[in-house]
Amino acid sequence: MPWPLYLALKQLFPTGRRFPFFTFMSGLGVAVGVALLHVATSIMGGFGHEIRRMIVDTQGEIQVVSRANIQNPAEIMAQVRAIEGVAGVTPVVRGVVMVMHRNVPAYPMIQGVDLATVGEVFHLQRYLVRGSLDDLDDDSVILSTKLAIELGASVGSQLEVYTPLIIDRMGRDEVLLPRVVRVAGLLQIGHDQLDRSTIITTLRTMQELYGSGDSVQALNVRLAPGVDEFEMVRKINPVLPWEMRAQTWFETNADFQSIVKFEKYMVFFLLTFIVIVAALSIMSSLLISVVRKTREIGLVGALGARGLHVAVCFCTQGFVLGLVGTGLGLALGQAVLHFRADIVRVVAGLTVGEDVFQQFYQFVDLPSHTLASDVVIIAIGSVLASTLAGVLPAWRAARLKPVEALRHE
Amino acid sequence: MSEPILQARALVKTYPSGDRRIEVLRGVDFAVGAGESVSIRGESGCGKSTLLHLLAGLDTPDTGDLLWDGEPRVTPERRARFLGMVFQAYYLIPELDARQNVLMAARIAGRLDAAARARAEDLLRRVGLAERAHHLPAHLSGGERQRVALARALVNRPRIILADEPTGNLDEATGNAVMDLLLDLCAQEQVALVLVTHNKEHAARTARQATLHLGKLQIP
Ligand SMILES: Nc1ncnc2c1ncn2[C@@H]1O[C@H](COP(=O)(O)OP(=O)(O)OP(=O)(O)O)[C@@H](O)[C@H]1O
Ligand SMILES: [Mg+2]
Repeated sequence: MPWPLYLALKQLFPTGRRFPFFTFMSGLGVAVGVALLHVATSIMGGFGHEIRRMIVDTQGEIQVVSRANIQNPAEIMAQVRAIEGVAGVTPVVRGVVMVMHRNVPAYPMIQGVDLATVGEVFHLQRYLVRGSLDDLDDDSVILSTKLAIELGASVGSQLEVYTPLIIDRMGRDEVLLPRVVRVAGLLQIGHDQLDRSTIITTLRTMQELYGSGDSVQALNVRLAPGVDEFEMVRKINPVLPWEMRAQTWFETNADFQSIVKFEKYMVFFLLTFIVIVAALSIMSSLLISVVRKTREIGLVGALGARGLHVAVCFCTQGFVLGLVGTGLGLALGQAVLHFRADIVRVVAGLTVGEDVFQQFYQFVDLPSHTLASDVVIIAIGSVLASTLAGVLPAWRAARLKPVEALRHE
Repeated sequence: MSEPILQARALVKTYPSGDRRIEVLRGVDFAVGAGESVSIRGESGCGKSTLLHLLAGLDTPDTGDLLWDGEPRVTPERRARFLGMVFQAYYLIPELDARQNVLMAARIAGRLDAAARARAEDLLRRVGLAERAHHLPAHLSGGERQRVALARALVNRPRIILADEPTGNLDEATGNAVMDLLLDLCAQEQVALVLVTHNKEHAARTARQATLHLGKLQIP
């Protein structure tokens, strides 16, 4: 081993010392910074991933949208279904309604599902916590759990549904009575906002409530596993009439996605400063070390060392401290992520309370999704910053003349 | 005197002092033959350490020449093999044990091999520290530290040892013992020695005695 590396390692991990306290303390700053970056990006990634999962689970990977309503859904569905790589297609009609249960009103999003095909795309059954999908018919609805709580309704309750069509008819002096429906089941998606404001009914009921005849707003498309969604968009588009267009779930929910991405970059950007501060602390401890070890720097000069070798010795120390700190930090971050549920419970319990926390962050469990590329960027960045932090001390050490160093008191 | 292995001619060294320069060395001529020992005495501040640093090539004279083995090339690489140094304050590396400190000189000289390791063991034995090879400097006495430094100075089989008050930090008995060792080892290894000391008795034990006075070296 070249002697500058040997000496650097020995100064960090001295012979006969079981616990290298100085090295540990110098690396600690980097470790904390790296751990925070790792945890924060993983959790932000988890939010993004969870949102993706939720969107894709409920809407499929691809949506066929149209400028106007789709008048001939069966025909288009058949054409799309015939394309290789498409596993299922189901039509969608969405709208807002007012529901009343014993004088308690709510204004949820209502979605009409085609009972014959919805299972191809949206595994409703998986999200049902009460009741059964078999009980859903043209006179019943499925409520999301928190909406049910808000309304004080449960399986078997009767609700009144008011639609914009009532107002439309009122303009023509016609009176349309609200539709009375029965609650057939309760559904929980795991996203707070959706769980507060979703009603599902049959496609036919929805078309009647909105007076939209046989037309639908869009088609949700489920792809076979492993099929690339962007490639499928290119395959589907040619079979569609000119007023229709296929787009990925990402495009359909672009606003949502870009906010999540932006938040992640912001967090990354802000936490990067912690790593920079940690690197500066490595720099200052190495500068102190250069002063403390002045006489030894003189000594190695007397033994025949060149300034460049002395510089390599100190740069190596920055590099190794970065490596040790990054390793510790990733391990610490991994541990925090592993026990995140318990940590959140304790922190939330101590501060605002679990339900407030959940309401704010939309998810029941704190999600985590670690991208290998994020970890690589964090690791390379922090090791690089620490190595650069060693450059100034190394330069100072290399510039010391052996005679002056030897005379140093 | 046999062919000199280290030769200095007309060394002049000045240091700036305010707007003037003080002349510490005013033309020093000096030569040491192979295996020869020379002591240098002089009052404090007369420039003994300055001279030794110039001879070691650690500092450059204002004017004058320095030859190692008849060659004017003074590089760190040559220094590592040509000479060994011993200092008053030992200068051991605190993170390394005694044996690692000795081997550090071999590492820097680019000669860390089985032979160097064997030589380090041998030298530690000869300075009486075979049992202490794995002790850190902090756990060694002053005399023991200086003996480690002697072993380190000799590990690369240098042609000459430059010692700057090697017993300056030691009590009399310990200092005498270290001096015995230094002289014995140099004699056994046929290594030349330049010894800077304040101690008359120690100076008397070298083959030649020089004094540095008013920037000139007087050699009888
Ligand atoms: N870097 C420097 N700048 C200015 N003056 C210096 C410098 N180094 C040494 N001197 C001066 O040069 C003179 C000789 O110093 P040197 O250390 O060589 O003396 P010395 O003979 O070894 O003394 P001592 O016996 O106390 O060790 C002293 O007056 C000292 O102040
Ligand atoms: Mg001196």
